[in-house]
Amino acid sequence: MTERSDTRGRVSVLPMPKSIALVWLNIGLSLVVAAIGLGVGFAQEVSAQRVILFTILTATVLFLLLNYIVAAFEANAAARAEETEDELEERSGRARKLWRNNRVLIIAMAGLLVLYLLLTASIPEFRSIKNLIGFLVLELILLFAFKVSGQFASGRSAFIGLIVLFALIVISAFSIEGFLSGPNIKAILLFAAFLGIASVGQTMVALLGGLDLSIPFVIGSSNIALLFLITLGVPSFVAFGFILVLGGIVGLLNGIMSYRLQGQALIVTLGSGFALAGFTQIMTSIGSQFAGNVFGTVPKWLSNLAAMNGKFIGMNFPPTIAIWIIIAIVMIIGLRTTAWGRNLYALGGNRRSASLIGVSEFKYWVGCYTISGVFAALTGSLLLGWSGGAFIGVGDPYLFTTLAAVVIGGTSLLGGNGGYGFTVIGVLVLQVLTSFLQGIGLQYEWQQFIFGLLILPMVALYGRSPHIRATV
Amino acid sequence: MATRASSANAYLLVPIVLMAALLGTAVIRGPSLITESGIGSAVIVAAPVILATYALMVLAVAGRGTVDLAVGPLLAFINVVIVKLSTAEILSSPIATFIVAIGLGMLYQLLFALIVIWVRVQPIIVALSGFLALTGINLVILPRPGGVAPEFMMSWGAGTTIFSPVLVILVVATLSWYLFTASTFYTNLKMMGYDERAAWTSGVRTDVVRIGAHLIAGVYVGLGAICYTALISSGDPTQGQSMTLTAITALVLGGVALSGGRGGVTGALLGAVSLWLIGYVLATFNFGAIQAFMTQMVYGIILVLSLLLTLLVPVIARYVSFISPWSAFLVLGVIVLSIMMQVGTFDTYAEVAPVAVEAATSERYFLIEPARVAADGFRISPVQAFALIAGLGAIAIVLAARLVDAESGARKMGPFLYLFVAAMLIALFVAIIVQPDSSLFGVPK
Repeated sequence: MTERSDTRGRVSVLPMPKSIALVWLNIGLSLVVAAIGLGVGFAQEVSAQRVILFTILTATVLFLLLNYIVAAFEANAAARAEETEDELEERSGRARKLWRNNRVLIIAMAGLLVLYLLLTASIPEFRSIKNLIGFLVLELILLFAFKVSGQFASGRSAFIGLIVLFALIVISAFSIEGFLSGPNIKAILLFAAFLGIASVGQTMVALLGGLDLSIPFVIGSSNIALLFLITLGVPSFVAFGFILVLGGIVGLLNGIMSYRLQGQALIVTLGSGFALAGFTQIMTSIGSQFAGNVFGTVPKWLSNLAAMNGKFIGMNFPPTIAIWIIIAIVMIIGLRTTAWGRNLYALGGNRRSASLIGVSEFKYWVGCYTISGVFAALTGSLLLGWSGGAFIGVGDPYLFTTLAAVVIGGTSLLGGNGGYGFTVIGVLVLQVLTSFLQGIGLQYEWQQFIFGLLILPMVALYGRSPHIRATV
Repeated sequence: MATRASSANAYLLVPIVLMAALLGTAVIRGPSLITESGIGSAVIVAAPVILATYALMVLAVAGRGTVDLAVGPLLAFINVVIVKLSTAEILSSPIATFIVAIGLGMLYQLLFALIVIWVRVQPIIVALSGFLALTGINLVILPRPGGVAPEFMMSWGAGTTIFSPVLVILVVATLSWYLFTASTFYTNLKMMGYDERAAWTSGVRTDVVRIGAHLIAGVYVGLGAICYTALISSGDPTQGQSMTLTAITALVLGGVALSGGRGGVTGALLGAVSLWLIGYVLATFNFGAIQAFMTQMVYGIILVLSLLLTLLVPVIARYVSFISPWSAFLVLGVIVLSIMMQVGTFDTYAEVAPVAVEAATSERYFLIEPARVAADGFRISPVQAFALIAGLGAIAIVLAARLVDAESGARKMGPFLYLFVAAMLIALFVAIIVQPDSSLFGVPK
């Protein structure tokens, strides 16, 4: 009772459950899982050092994770026990209550079970240990998503995203040969870096409740414009900087034009994107016999920046990944701690109160679009280094995937909720899923189909709006 | 009173002016537009976009920021399903085709509505989800453009006559919306789109209304898919994205509010036709290799400009309240129709040799072509007579209409306006059709 104020939802960085029995249980669970890993590792004849290293890592990480979850549960359970002491007599209809509180979960799990049984019964090839593991992991995701994630009020979407990401990696590692090999991880991270850098602007704009559909067109335009400038003889560094500035100017114009039309920012940015893509292609085809195509050689430093065999200070991965990591750290810390970042959230949450405390809506709106333009131009330039040839359509896949990454991560499109950390999770989920689907031999169209079907339940888990009767 | 009444439709001013300017330019730049085949093919090419825009319009009116990004992929989905079934010779009769197309559209939209109502996710996310899923599944059903449309559609896409079945579909779709606006359901729909909480508290069953709106949109998408199948006579799974973008552009050009509660087929029709006209006008200029880029750029610029212009609508409505959209429509319509007639008849007069001094009175005063006069005396051709009468009639009716307009307040000009516009349009069509070489007033193709 003395710690009452302390009990609800306060979870430190490395929490420990109060009950010693639970700590022992966690240690036991972690050791059992680690031992299974040890056995499997030796069975696969991996070298002994690696097996031991991974066993220790697994045990430690699992132990910390379990403690974290258990501590959160304990705190919430303690808080709830105090509230509901006098309602204990209502426990009579327990089964009914269980059903009422969990019906969506139960229906979903049962549905999955029926689907699995049907598939197993009808298709002989489906009966494999991999699919059984996959099925169990999916059921676990559902359980976690519904029951455990509720304990983390603020980071719910991030929690679900991480669980999905983890499950995807587990399933992929089991079912695809060489999924966890160095080159494949490098490829996943590289494409995630492109998507992640392109989604920076989309995240910030979404935090204000806007949308930026000009991103793919800015990517494509900067891609061909950069090579065009380089072939004109402009020093490549100057051209690179110039393209970033141009991207910023496009973003600035987008912001200014859409400020008064905030509900229709989608269309304004789409229109400006069309205009930009057309304009760039006209400019680059003047005096050239290849209409719309630019041919030239990409400077070495730019190729090194983004190509798969790039080197980063002697290390064997392209610097784009490092750039993305730096951007992500700056963005996450910046949005959380700086006054600029907090004001952004304030504006997204409630325009009126934010403007009453003196936050200029116009500046922030235009600022976010400008940043979006700069990062889209950066993505376009990096993609030039990756592919080695300019192509206006290089941005097309980013039209809705940036949006999907933001949404899957858990940033609300209505504004004021979310952050770049969530988008990073969303980007990784999308990329790992892409890699998985490619690995099991699905074509691009099936990947799109599955992306589409994935977005809805992900958002439904945490992004539901209240019923209208709750808002009146 | 008139001021307040006129502001209800003030948003139509921008699309009307835009459309008039574009139509005038289009007719002057490319006179072959006003031949029977010109208009016929225009109708067939524009019909899918128009119907897709109608579908988007209904959903936009229903509010919650519903922009169904999936409208293009859905249209393509129905298209490929029809083609696939017809290639496999399962689907051949018109009735079955219509049932399949409209049924698929309604089914998808019903699902959409139920997700929005029960799962309570933002519609834009459902739309995004549907866009990705349908784009994928289209390519699975039909990996590359191909296949054959049902047999009965083969002649629809020729575009040699104005009164093709596609036009009938279009007219029926448009008229049924006007009929629909007379119902209480429409009032509820608009109310829900404008302020859902207010509608709910005043007893509107918003769930039912939302489902209804989606079903209507589904019907429009189904009809659009049929027109699209007729246009390309085969299946094409790849056009979904561009169709979506075009339809959204048309929606915005037509002044429909994406925030909900405002819009109608008039605006959507004007927007879609304007968009088609932009493409037509640009095609008459010869930009060589950069034609496609120029089109893209102008699309974008016009889209942004027309959006920025809608910001001016309240200002216009305040200061220029005596201009109602309907009177603007009337005046601009007369101007454009006269341009069309002028262009159409231009060559008739241009070929004319100078009028001889000794010509008959009628020739001197009415500039009737003496070169075509048969040797046995003066004879006016029926087309020329018609053009003359229509021109004089138009002037007389404009004067009368101006009077009536001044009398009856600005909101609606009533049946008179509709009759007038309809008469003018019918006159134009008749003039085109009576022409034996199917090219209006002898304009060379």
